[in-house]
Amino acid sequence: MTLLLIRDAIIFSSLMIMLSAGLTLTYMTTKVPNFAHGDFATLNVYLSLALVRLLNINPYLSTVSAFMLGGLAALILYLAVLKPLMDRGANYVILMIATIAYDMILISLINIFADYLNRVHKLITRLFQLKGFDIEIFGQPGLFVIAPILAFVMITSLYFFLNKTKFGIAMRAAIENPSLAEIVGININLMYAVSWFISGGLAGVVGALMPLYMTCNPDLGIRLLISIFAASILGGLSNIYGALVGGAVIGLAEVLGTGYLSMTLGPWVVPYRPVIPLIIMMLTLLLVPKGLAGVDWKRFIKKVG
Amino acid sequence: MALPIPLTFLIDLLTFFGIFAIISMSLNLEFGYAGIPNFGKLLAVAGGAFFVGAIPGRVIAYLFNLPAEFDFITNNLEVVSSINQILMFEPVTSIFYLLVSLIGAALSGAALGYIASYPGIRLRGDYLAMTLLAMAEVFRIVGDNWEPFVGGSLGVRIPDPFRWVGGEYRPLYVALTILLVTAAIFIYLELVSRSPLGRTLRAIRDDELSARVYGKDVDRLRIKTLIVGCAIAAIGGALYSFLTASVSARDFNRVTHTFWPWVMVIVGGAGNNLGALIGAGIFVTLRRLITFYKSYFETIVPFDVVWLEYMLLGLALILVLLYRPEGLVPERPTKTLKHSYIVKLISRIKSNEGA
Repeated sequence: MTLLLIRDAIIFSSLMIMLSAGLTLTYMTTKVPNFAHGDFATLNVYLSLALVRLLNINPYLSTVSAFMLGGLAALILYLAVLKPLMDRGANYVILMIATIAYDMILISLINIFADYLNRVHKLITRLFQLKGFDIEIFGQPGLFVIAPILAFVMITSLYFFLNKTKFGIAMRAAIENPSLAEIVGININLMYAVSWFISGGLAGVVGALMPLYMTCNPDLGIRLLISIFAASILGGLSNIYGALVGGAVIGLAEVLGTGYLSMTLGPWVVPYRPVIPLIIMMLTLLLVPKGLAGVDWKRFIKKVG
Repeated sequence: MALPIPLTFLIDLLTFFGIFAIISMSLNLEFGYAGIPNFGKLLAVAGGAFFVGAIPGRVIAYLFNLPAEFDFITNNLEVVSSINQILMFEPVTSIFYLLVSLIGAALSGAALGYIASYPGIRLRGDYLAMTLLAMAEVFRIVGDNWEPFVGGSLGVRIPDPFRWVGGEYRPLYVALTILLVTAAIFIYLELVSRSPLGRTLRAIRDDELSARVYGKDVDRLRIKTLIVGCAIAAIGGALYSFLTASVSARDFNRVTHTFWPWVMVIVGGAGNNLGALIGAGIFVTLRRLITFYKSYFETIVPFDVVWLEYMLLGLALILVLLYRPEGLVPERPTKTLKHSYIVKLISRIKSNEGA
């Protein structure tokens, strides 16, 4: 029982890491939380469903197309909506409203696609899962092995990309100091577009894997969004590595916390699972509003030790 | 005597207009005047409705000495129908029950707004927006799952304060009540917007630093604005519950109670109450027309037409933000005293000094 719980927690943490890293990356570029981030994942939940059930494609292979579709959805949001608004001098509240409007468009697309798969192809598209299509590795569900590896690979390649390649360094420069980067001839617009594409791609990969892990529904995006926001705020919204820690903590806390409470108090606590990230989010804002990345750890250790 | 059909249609339209006008005006107070991005409008609306579903019915059952073995949730039907039997002949008690419930709903909405905004109110608005959104969603989940609260996913029926009116004319009385409340809130918010407080809020919105320099307590004013805004939105939620004489957590969601009010405020024009009213009016009328023509489309597409409508709304909102961010009714500059009045004032002061 406990082992199953830990397995669940590790899978969910890996997925949360990819989601919160993506959200933080886009937050760093446009300085606005993307309220449609969860839908980049949900969109691919349904693409994955269609590929697996209709074309018999392995769910892990569908992550490739998921990265593309997720990236594309994010790119459209940036280029067609946010960039023009920013050029017109819109403030961050207007940008946030625009992401909510985009969220509505994606939600309706997801639901239309779900209805279509359901009515034309007779697939179950509400409250479904694809656990049966997972492969087995050493007698364990493949996701338990592949999700952490995928998260690790994605994040390390992002690290190498941002720190070792010329393009990545230019991107960091564009994110950290746009005006200075522009002076030395970096195309900021291109850099931001690439970060939006990567962010959406990461969310897309998570979406493709989600049905292997849990029961999915078109409103999955908002469920995930609470956790993503909590993880990113915990991480500080200013640092991708902070987001990694935030994602891992929220993932573990949600699964282990709910598991522990349902064993001690009874299974009725399970639906209240989103309360855990909400509480962590609120505590972070009250105690360390700049998140884990904003804490001066050297001073903290000196004080305590 | 039955009411003619065009009239029932109009009453229905005005009822929903009133409810959404209240909610969008409250959002306009928060966003239009004070610049607070409340993406958890659902929280206060559901808060008001859940209060009406959870508290007044139980209190009345206790006051009317109903048998104690009748639980308000498990024996909901029996409890509510026996209360309605009594309320049918007691218009004064009914009106008193309505008013007290609305006040209670406003207070609970205010409390929720305070709790939800407390962690994020001192930070940049996006943190506040994220916490309010998360809080609203979690509150909805609690309402949907915790049965002793408002009956979980099944919902509860609540005592009907319009029972004494009698079947035919009930919708008319409900509509009139809602419109009366809408008008009162409109007048209140107009007075606020023309008062020094309204100008201070706009100053905070336009230039927070300058407002701070002039000694305005920005955080406190923001908290106050959210408390008032949430109280008003909660009244909207409570009125909706009285309209249907029931409360169900399933009726409250992010699309209807957060996204729609945002569309109304942005399309109508943020920063003036008339804009919020007009936005709500256009929106409600359009929705009624869409519902009317929906059945025609339903047969030719393989999906629920409601999603097409959401998509169009999202697109419309983005287009308005891009091409007409000031909305249909742009915000007017702050009203100042007339020049002739100021001249008169100066001469009066001078003559006083002379004497």
